[in-house]
Amino acid sequence: MSNKAFLLGDRAVYIAFIVIVLGLPLLISDVFWLNRVARYLVFGMLGIAMALSWGYAGILNLGQGLFFGIGAYMVAMSLKLQSWTSLQQGSDTPVPDFMLWNAQPGAPTDLCCIVPGSWLWIPFQAQWFGIFMAIALPVIVALIIGVTIFRLRVSGVYVAIITLALVLLTRLIFIDAQPITNGFNGLTDLGWLTIGGVEFDPLMIETYYIVAVSVCIVLLLTRWLVSTRAGLILQSTRDDANRARYLGYDVASYQIFFFTVSAAIAGFAGLLFVIVSEFATPTYFDIAFSISMVVWAAVGGRSSLIGAAIGAILINTIEATVSESEMFQQAWRLIIGVLFVLIVLYMPRGLAGLARDILTRLVSLGRTKNPDAANASRNPAE
Amino acid sequence: MKAALTIDALEVNFGGFKAVDRMTTVIDDGELRVILGPNGAGKTTLMDLVSGKTASTGGKVHLYGREITNWPEHLIAREGVGRKFQIPSIFRDLTVLQNLEVAVSQEPRVFRNLRLGMAAADRKRIDEVIDLTGLEPVLETIAGDLSHGQMQWLELGMLITQQSRVILLDEPTAGMTQGETSKTADIILRLKGSHTIIVVEHDMAFVRKIAEKVTVMHMGKLLAEGPIKAIEADPAVREAYLGTGGLH
Ligand SMILES: Nc1ncnc2c1ncn2[C@@H]1O[C@H](COP(=O)(O)OP(=O)(O)OP(=O)(O)O)[C@@H](O)[C@H]1O
Ligand SMILES: [Mg+2]
Repeated sequence: MSNKAFLLGDRAVYIAFIVIVLGLPLLISDVFWLNRVARYLVFGMLGIAMALSWGYAGILNLGQGLFFGIGAYMVAMSLKLQSWTSLQQGSDTPVPDFMLWNAQPGAPTDLCCIVPGSWLWIPFQAQWFGIFMAIALPVIVALIIGVTIFRLRVSGVYVAIITLALVLLTRLIFIDAQPITNGFNGLTDLGWLTIGGVEFDPLMIETYYIVAVSVCIVLLLTRWLVSTRAGLILQSTRDDANRARYLGYDVASYQIFFFTVSAAIAGFAGLLFVIVSEFATPTYFDIAFSISMVVWAAVGGRSSLIGAAIGAILINTIEATVSESEMFQQAWRLIIGVLFVLIVLYMPRGLAGLARDILTRLVSLGRTKNPDAANASRNPAE
Repeated sequence: MKAALTIDALEVNFGGFKAVDRMTTVIDDGELRVILGPNGAGKTTLMDLVSGKTASTGGKVHLYGREITNWPEHLIAREGVGRKFQIPSIFRDLTVLQNLEVAVSQEPRVFRNLRLGMAAADRKRIDEVIDLTGLEPVLETIAGDLSHGQMQWLELGMLITQQSRVILLDEPTAGMTQGETSKTADIILRLKGSHTIIVVEHDMAFVRKIAEKVTVMHMGKLLAEGPIKAIEADPAVREAYLGTGGLH
């Protein structure tokens, strides 16, 4: 009975979300705002990835920025090579401008050998390669990490520490490989995504739709994934890994699979973010960014995919609004920090849980309408 | 009669201390065997060794003629050994029905499980178990909210849904009221014959109700084995329980 109400409520939220996301361009005509919203939708996708790994698999990944960053850099490399800054370096093939600044005197202006390791860029001249790698590399890295830690039955806080350490390590590597990554500055002045001759200017409505449709598809696919038998078994491994083992399940294989899916989503989000923001920087590997994702998911409700997505979008929208005032900007971090602690302590299911509780109240209220009304009239002082 | 589980000179050495020491016993197909023994006798550890939780350092375990010594837990489980823990081990954040749905699947692989719904046969087996355990009224309840007794029955129910050929039950009535204990005895008696069951239990009233053949362990070793009457009269068994209040 109440389950039916939940399912209906749940479905209503999904439909409302999709309608709003797809219909937004009708309401917002300011292209700059639309571009902002597209970025928040990308963060919403990160919220989904976080809810999948943290909420459903019980894997607290404090290094999700690793996959996002890799995805971003992979596609940014391709877009950098399409940029006029790479095409005008006096060679037949594109060469990123920053490589020239780093090159030894007399080095040939060619990706093969302008700086050590620049040959890694060669395949990225094809845009599809960058797009492909934006998903493939996060998947490969996640598989390697996942197989290692889950086969060894690492769990709980240790997973958090390891993933945190890995994202930090990657940050160091990207900054250190300055000649081929442009270090702290990252990849800027990127070209636009070009599909079938159409250039996707980040401020175009079509570009917004690439992101919006992607987010909706990822949301629905992930939703399907957690409703499958595999999704249920995954949740069982979260609750009691040993029980799942004694029922015959190879727990590690479920953890590896869903950890990798979550990484693929984060990589895809990185790809989309570069398309709408036109840069990739090592700040994606900052701990603060990865932790933010945890906060978004916690606030929205880590055990709800759409809750975590809405949490991410809401927080970022509010942040963008308040950050226009200097004073609020300072207070914002504090507010978010306190909010996070309070939610973890008192509202572990976040906004989604709150919505459910309210729905439960309404349903039970509707059922016992008369007795409640009688009580209320008897105690008007209350 | 065919042997379901053969435990052959099994032992485990915890840094010099042998919690199970050259333990040998054969459990027949369809048998209900009770394992007795004072605290620390090694009963739980024996179940750990059989189910793969702890690696043995000597001896062998055969399940229906196939050696399963020191296999990983999930492979032993798939081979047909189900295990109930002393502390109820269920999926606390899932509903009772979901717990059973996880248990029912005969397909362990991730990719094969990327589908919705379940086979009619599985559905039917879940219904049978719901019937057997009387969990019908709480199917949509989150398992963590169940009473202690209901949790124990749910865990038991999961082992049956799982279609384990051999079920290991570690103190299934621990912490239960008399009424709950008696219901548990009924469930176990109904399983008799269709499953091979091994029960570790301290509650002698319960043991007398369900037991046929009894194995007594003491200090990791086999002390006595036989029908419950003979065991209760055995002076060696009485001596082992001396000072612990005896069998009662
Ligand atoms: N991993 C371990 N390392 C060292 N000693 C252990 C380990 N596991 C169990 N033991 C010891 O082995 C002995 C047997 O323990 P076990 O839990 O098997 O006894 P039991 O027969 O189940 O007792 P009870 O009736 O109290 O449940 C105990 O002395 C225990 O302390
Ligand atoms: Mg024990």
